Amino acid sequence: MIGILKGMAVTLKHALDGQTFTVEYPETAPEVSPRFRGVHKFSQERCIWCRQCENVCPNDTIQIVQDDKRNGEQYNLHIGQCIYCRLCEEVCPVDAILLTQNFEFTADTKNDFVYNKEQLKNVPWYKDIDPLNSRNPDRNAWVGEGEGEVDYQ
Amino acid sequence: MSLQAVLPDTISGLLGLEGVLGDVVGGLVGAFLVANIMLIMTAFAGPWAKRKITAAFGDRIAVNRIGPFGLLTIVTDAVRLLSKELIVPEGVDRPAWDLAPMVIPFSALLGFAVIPMGNGIQLADPETGLAFAFAAASIASLGIVMTGYASNNKFSLIGALRAVAANIAYEIPLVITAASVVIFAGSLRMSEIVAVQAEPLLSVAGVTIPTWFAFVNPFAFALFVIANLAEVGRNPFDIPEAPTEIVAGYQTEYSSVYFVLIYLGEFIHIFLGGAIAATLFLGGPAGPVLPGFVWFTIKIWAFFLFTQWARSAVPRLRVDQFLEIGWKGMLVLSFANLVLTAIIVGVIA
Amino acid sequence: MSLEEQQSDEPAELESGVSRGDELADLLGDLVVGREEHMNAPGLVIRPDEVQDALFKLRDEAGFDHLSCVTAQEYEDRYESIYHLTKFDDRTDEVSVVVPTSKDNPVSQSAEPVFRTADWHEREAYDLVGIQYEDHPDLRRILLPDTWQGHPLGLDYDQDRPQIATLREHANPLEEDHRAAGDSNTMYINIGPHHPATHGVLHVETVVDGEQVVDLDADIGYLHRCEEQMCQQGTYRHQIMPYPDRWDYISAGLLNEWAYARTAEDLADIDVPEYAQIIRTMGAELCRIASHMIALGTFALDVYGDFTAIFMYAMRDREIVQNILEDLTGQRMMFNYFRLGGVVWDLPEPREEFFEKVRDFLDGLPQALEEYHDMITSNEILQARTVGTGVLPPEVAKSYGATGPVARGSGIDYDLRRDDSYGYYDELDWDVVVEDGCDNFSRLLVRMREVEESAKIIQQCVDLLEDWPEDERNIQANVPRTLKPEEDTEIYRAVEGAKGELGIYIRADGTDKPARFKIRSPCFSNLQTLPEMSEGEYIPDMIASLGSLDIVLGEVDR
Repeated sequence: MIGILKGMAVTLKHALDGQTFTVEYPETAPEVSPRFRGVHKFSQERCIWCRQCENVCPNDTIQIVQDDKRNGEQYNLHIGQCIYCRLCEEVCPVDAILLTQNFEFTADTKNDFVYNKEQLKNVPWYKDIDPLNSRNPDRNAWVGEGEGEVDYQ
Repeated sequence: MSLQAVLPDTISGLLGLEGVLGDVVGGLVGAFLVANIMLIMTAFAGPWAKRKITAAFGDRIAVNRIGPFGLLTIVTDAVRLLSKELIVPEGVDRPAWDLAPMVIPFSALLGFAVIPMGNGIQLADPETGLAFAFAAASIASLGIVMTGYASNNKFSLIGALRAVAANIAYEIPLVITAASVVIFAGSLRMSEIVAVQAEPLLSVAGVTIPTWFAFVNPFAFALFVIANLAEVGRNPFDIPEAPTEIVAGYQTEYSSVYFVLIYLGEFIHIFLGGAIAATLFLGGPAGPVLPGFVWFTIKIWAFFLFTQWARSAVPRLRVDQFLEIGWKGMLVLSFANLVLTAIIVGVIA
Repeated sequence: MSLEEQQSDEPAELESGVSRGDELADLLGDLVVGREEHMNAPGLVIRPDEVQDALFKLRDEAGFDHLSCVTAQEYEDRYESIYHLTKFDDRTDEVSVVVPTSKDNPVSQSAEPVFRTADWHEREAYDLVGIQYEDHPDLRRILLPDTWQGHPLGLDYDQDRPQIATLREHANPLEEDHRAAGDSNTMYINIGPHHPATHGVLHVETVVDGEQVVDLDADIGYLHRCEEQMCQQGTYRHQIMPYPDRWDYISAGLLNEWAYARTAEDLADIDVPEYAQIIRTMGAELCRIASHMIALGTFALDVYGDFTAIFMYAMRDREIVQNILEDLTGQRMMFNYFRLGGVVWDLPEPREEFFEKVRDFLDGLPQALEEYHDMITSNEILQARTVGTGVLPPEVAKSYGATGPVARGSGIDYDLRRDDSYGYYDELDWDVVVEDGCDNFSRLLVRMREVEESAKIIQQCVDLLEDWPEDERNIQANVPRTLKPEEDTEIYRAVEGAKGELGIYIRADGTDKPARFKIRSPCFSNLQTLPEMSEGEYIPDMIASLGSLDIVLGEVDR
């Protein structure tokens, strides 16, 4: 009986202290970390069409179409199947890809989730931080850029 | 003892009707009023208060979008539930399946006919009032058996069987404990039970404590509340529904309006349990300053709150443990209580 | 850098393991028809009709009492089943029993009479690869629908041919009538796949006598996503790491990633800097706390019956852990934070703020646990519900290959973090939690006490990281961008995941992708014990036992 009363006392304490840990979304949007990986943003100005992101993507989310002179024509992203692993951002040599802090996007059908490069430009940007800076301390650490001799390609 | 006039007489008196016509009109209008009072309370309790209370225990926010404090959720929920499709599974036993959702809430409402709610709100005051209240409340079990049997679903069947087992095991301690109150009061008539409790028990520093039976015999009160929890099927005696075990028990197959009716029935049942407890042990509508009806409402809501509190904090018993406590614990204790009360009352008298 | 030394010692251990292989080969005598060398253990090749003899000998005479995993695979010229054996008392003593079978008649003797756990493992091997097991009590498909054509991990399987198992073709559980004879008193009910207490899409075919369970069969596979094959199509270096997060998706991501990282690092002979190992250890233990919080909350949910306060409190505490992990890894559940040779990011700047956040969490944890104990373990009704129910004796648990909190709740002192140490665990001061009750209550207690131990580990990691010299914060070893381990190297390595022993077998074929990638899921083995625990008990106890196993269907079905 003591144990039951203890449990009831704990719940009552929580009920009466008036504290909540849930927030009223969307009025109170949850804080996301500077490292948060949200929707992919693509910069056509920076891109050198090296196709490394397309190669590293584990589930073919990124599709690049080039013309016969290897100039980029299309950059399509099937954001609906993106798993937000951030490997594309990691391998990009020119910072043309950044995963933003935006996680709020919806569509009526799966097909609406295919973004082309124009649409990717309009993805909402970081909230108040400079995207490149926020990643800067980490960028040196990215995979495989070791300086030792073993690094072959 | 001068008893207050019951509600139908007051109404027919106000309308200036006499004889059979007065009885019929007064009775119908009175019943309509009382039923609606209870339904309004249930409407607050089910879609709104329950969520708010559970959320408070769980450190959450809960409904607050529609209307002040989210109160208009009641309206939207009603519209939502009533506009859903009524899914009738294959192979249900149609008349019973349709009838059961009506039996459950109506039996609970019927019990309120004899409850004195204060300010003269009482539909009838027969000599056997208490027995009537218990009898009416027990009809709900019939409805539950009907749902379980007619649904053509094994979870429903198990739920219904559990409900019946629970009812038999806990109805007896409930009635026996109530009988100890009857020994004190010397009457089954609800108004007399309330009137007896109005006498002062003792006076401490100018504050008079009335002879509410909860103060006179707290042990019986505790027994009654526990048996009542089992009777209305709330944690730790949440056996007939047991959502994690048998999906939703006897109401598994019900949707839309039928679901609303069963849901309503459950909540009215909780309020009826609270009302009987209040009448027997807490002086019915009695209380200082505020009018009787307000006190009555506070008391039954307190019982509702208690059921929700237990739901948040107390685990569910296993069905065999539940029955063991009923037959081996509650039954023995309630008889002991009855015998002791009888001896004490006999000695004092 | 004692740790790197220890890791580079592994091949040396293998050198001495050769003699171990000789010993075991001598023990088995004529049963051994060939020898192989796996990176983790010696491999003994056994004829397919002598599997039981060999395994009985190894179990009874050499003490190999833990069949960790059964890997099946198809080569160009043969099928092969590998039984990865080890000991509960000495995890580092391993042996692989390799059973080749011919292409045209892939029949091999079942190991089920020796180890009960082989039941499901061999069914999976039959289902996905197509090896037949003789003497198996119940050889039917386990992950795929009964109507499936072909074996998806076989070499000649046409992956592009769509197969749709319609409800009509699929054995429809609703139509089956499992009632035995007409006068039988039993009733067949489907608990799941849509049931409030199955923790995902699990279907438990239950035969009840009144309220008592008389027979029970767990039907899994509703969440099968070909995780093994997806890993076989990804490159070692990058593309596999995001997927372990999705096996046990209840916030145990880093623990799963470590399973892959450990295996692949040993396979490719990669050393991990000490600093990165400490970060890994801290992250993994944070994940363990988050995962145990969910286990606690859902177990309470199963016993209490509604989404009650305890579930919310457990979620609240898990939320704090997830915020910390989000700061560290950038995601809340699908971390993709480990890389071969280290981790992807150093601790977030400003470091002090991060440490403070972790410390605040650790400081608040004892009080939170106190509340849980007040609400759960000291509650008499909960004790009545859980003490002595769902009993799993240690011998049975071992035979079923139960690991993790389930095994430790049955008094088996087995924890890979200590017994086959990796990461930074052997440098830290912590204890393996063991309870002897063998019941639902013990399993609950083990998890709650493990949270305390994890907090101890995190505390020590934070202290170490705080004092780490700034110029030695090396989070990644120098790893080539393309990894191509040598052809025909095979390795099986396991880590202590949130639910138990999470093992991975990889066979390399000289390319940058694994030729065979097999996941040994702890939940898969633990779930097998459910009938043992539940038959003869009441339905509510069966639900509680299922909750106490803490399965994640994503990991069971993979």
